[in-house]
Amino acid sequence: MVNVSKGVLVKCDPAMKQFLIFLDEKEELGKRFIIQDIDDEHLFISKDVQEMLKERLDSLMDKISISAGIKEGER
Amino acid sequence: MGKAKKSSKEDEGTSEARSSGHGMSKRKRASDPDVELSSLTMTHLHDNIQDDDIEMVCSSDEDDNDPKSRRKDRAIASTSAADDDTLRIAGLQTDALVTEVRNDEFGAKDYRSQMELKPDHMSRPLWVAPDGHIFLEAFSPVYRHAQDFLVAISEPVCRPERIHEYKLTAYSLYAAVSVGLQTADIIEYLKRLSKTNLPKGIEEFIRLCTISYGKLKLVLKQNRYFVETIHPDVIQTLLKDEVISQCRLRYDEQAPLTEDPAGKSGPTFAGSTTLPNEDESTQAEKDSVPQDIVDFYDKIDRDEDDEAEVQSKVVSFEVKQDLIEVLQKRCIELEYPLLAEYDFRHDQHNPDINLDLKPSASHRPYQEKSLRKMFGNGRARSGIIVLPCGAGKTLVGVTACCTVRKRCLVLCNSGVSVEQWRSQFKIWSTADEQMICRFTADSKDKPHANAGVCITTYNMIAHTQKRSWEAEKIMEWLKSQEWGLMVLDEVHTIPAKMFRRVLTIVNAHCKLGLTATLVREDDKIQDLNFLIGPKLYEANWMELQNKGFLARVQCAEVWCPMSPEFFREYLEIKTRKQTLLYVMNPNKIRALEFLVKYHERRNDKVIVFCDNVFALKNIALKMGKPYIYGPTAQAERLQILQNFQHNPRLNTIFVSKVADTSFDLPEANVLIQISSQGGSRRQEAQRLGRILRPKKGSIAEEYNAFFYSLVSQDTSEMYFARRRQRFLVNQGYSYKVITRLAGMEDETLSLSKKEQQLELLRIVMAASDTDINEEDKIVGSTRETGGKVQMTRKAGNMGSFSGADDSVYMEYKDGKQAGRSGRGAASSKNENQHTLFKKFRSSKK
Repeated sequence: MVNVSKGVLVKCDPAMKQFLIFLDEKEELGKRFIIQDIDDEHLFISKDVQEMLKERLDSLMDKISISAGIKEGER
Repeated sequence: MGKAKKSSKEDEGTSEARSSGHGMSKRKRASDPDVELSSLTMTHLHDNIQDDDIEMVCSSDEDDNDPKSRRKDRAIASTSAADDDTLRIAGLQTDALVTEVRNDEFGAKDYRSQMELKPDHMSRPLWVAPDGHIFLEAFSPVYRHAQDFLVAISEPVCRPERIHEYKLTAYSLYAAVSVGLQTADIIEYLKRLSKTNLPKGIEEFIRLCTISYGKLKLVLKQNRYFVETIHPDVIQTLLKDEVISQCRLRYDEQAPLTEDPAGKSGPTFAGSTTLPNEDESTQAEKDSVPQDIVDFYDKIDRDEDDEAEVQSKVVSFEVKQDLIEVLQKRCIELEYPLLAEYDFRHDQHNPDINLDLKPSASHRPYQEKSLRKMFGNGRARSGIIVLPCGAGKTLVGVTACCTVRKRCLVLCNSGVSVEQWRSQFKIWSTADEQMICRFTADSKDKPHANAGVCITTYNMIAHTQKRSWEAEKIMEWLKSQEWGLMVLDEVHTIPAKMFRRVLTIVNAHCKLGLTATLVREDDKIQDLNFLIGPKLYEANWMELQNKGFLARVQCAEVWCPMSPEFFREYLEIKTRKQTLLYVMNPNKIRALEFLVKYHERRNDKVIVFCDNVFALKNIALKMGKPYIYGPTAQAERLQILQNFQHNPRLNTIFVSKVADTSFDLPEANVLIQISSQGGSRRQEAQRLGRILRPKKGSIAEEYNAFFYSLVSQDTSEMYFARRRQRFLVNQGYSYKVITRLAGMEDETLSLSKKEQQLELLRIVMAASDTDINEEDKIVGSTRETGGKVQMTRKAGNMGSFSGADDSVYMEYKDGKQAGRSGRGAASSKNENQHTLFKKFRSSKK
């Protein structure tokens, strides 16, 4: 039987790839999403988590930077 | 009530005002300022605020409108009665500012309805916003006039290249009055400098803050206390008060005061020159300055110097000495706080010491200016002088001692800086061996009969446990003395509690605080206003750098990508070991190695800062460089430092945070920071200070000192780095972000193979919690024991004797530690223990 699932090719630096694998293993987005681990910089992931993943990365970036919009006290 | 209102209102105000300032500076760069900028109103300047993200990040430093710290601040304020007083006044200000301000989409306030542009606004440099923020155009021809004045009356908030931001606060106005400015003059001069009319609320605020301050002075003359004022009506009101009239020494029991006119003619302070007329401005420049500003500037300048003559009109009454405290308290209640001044020239009770500045000692203009503020009217005022690291704070201190010429007590925060102060005294003043008495854990000089200067550390004085017999003797001597001047080095570091202790132990007529960074993360800095005195002077870092008094520093933040393996572990672990992982990131170590090699080839002297002791030891040993940290013995430290200074083969040293302050290393010109203490602004600035001493030669280059901060990408270190930079960014420094070091590929560096990196990871993972915490513990114990017997505490853990600390047992121990808490934690607990328990514990051992 043939299974078809839509996927996205993700290119990232090696450290970020580890972050994605971490999310995948811990099922932080509700399920496992990595379809194929290609090489150090490429991953093939399922399409439906794409938006969630973007949000997740944005919040990671927010955590490590102080942007003009966010006041420090809010943290 | 008023307080709460004030803070919330100011919170909004600050950020808005700041962003508008930013908008201005951006526009300035984009186009010709003089034509365009001044004709725009504040809101218009916002249009292009969003187009440059990196810059937004850099100047997003919300120093004091962080609500959390403000809340803390308020909590502190409510505990101190004197504080309350000031804040009440500040609260009144906001009530006076009942205004409706429209906010635009960026949160900027539109003040156009309240602030009317003057017809000749082009030639005036200030915007005074109704929320107390003042914006100064640094490119204006009147800049110099305005800046001196603003430093006196307000707090500098942010001083980048083009637009400077200041803020009026109750404290700053208090300081202004105490250096001799009058209410009317402040308002008048602000009016003249401002592009617009002065907002009503601001005028009201200045009145409220200054009207009662500074009217009364408590003067110590010939060992008798006098309350002095030039306002007869104030003294009338005062004497009607019952409590105060009780404190008064009646006329019939009062001996006539002998005037000593000779004292007046002397120079203001030792080594003072007749100030060369700073008006070197060209005629063209003069033309562009409105006449009224120049006139007024001259008048204010004169005022400060001529104050001594005004003194002839003063009215005064003498106070019973034992009732001084009562009087001071009562005066605060009546809202006429007393300013303490010490008339050292007429103090015959305390013997003069034979101390003078050497003729070779010469002051730089800003040092002269700061001393002028302190000794403005021939008397000594207590207060704080803020000068950047490396700008010669010590000389200011030495000069102050030579001016007062009474016994002086110098307090520093480490044994090394005691030695440095001593050598500075020898260089700049005529003091000889006998006159200087050191009192530290290592060296206790016997106080000679004519000892005039005593140098010691805060810890030695505030020490609570048993002292040696020798130390006890010296303490007795210290307590029995009446000190003319107390110099407090690095005054920002001392917690109020310890400081109060010091004050109860030793008596000093006048206190001078010296520091480079008047910021603390816990906002306890306000306490200093009441413990020592107002801020007398604060120098502008950028200006000193441009004039060549400081090294020109290139600050850079180097982003090192995390290695995948390390990042993986970083994500998994949620404990403090995270820190270790991003500090020991192989890519960071490689970048460090590259930078060290690069700069050593240029014959630079490199200091590497690393707070984390585990990383410090590991990396230093790997690279074969000497390192200094808490437990390093004094002799070894000096040896390493001397080698670093004089041995051309040793160009790099590793240091932990013990070297943050008062390590004078004039040779060093490259600083690399690989790990740091959270988001501490102070630490960043102090570290930068290590390389700020002006460098000889190398004028050809644009920069002659380098400050690198290595940051592991995508980790919380990035966040801390941003926070840490705020202070320096406010002083006008800009950080360059480097994501790739050019030429790194060609260099042969360690850790290039995956296996080596994994080996390092194994070492890191095997490190116990103890290793991570080590430095905290050492520093904690140094504080208590003055750096001598710190190892005794270690003996308490039998496990470490048998090698149980070793990595092999880590997991087994880890389980237990949950219940028993790590060694580092235990010792920090120890610190808070009652002395009785401590004693009990040590005797059991």
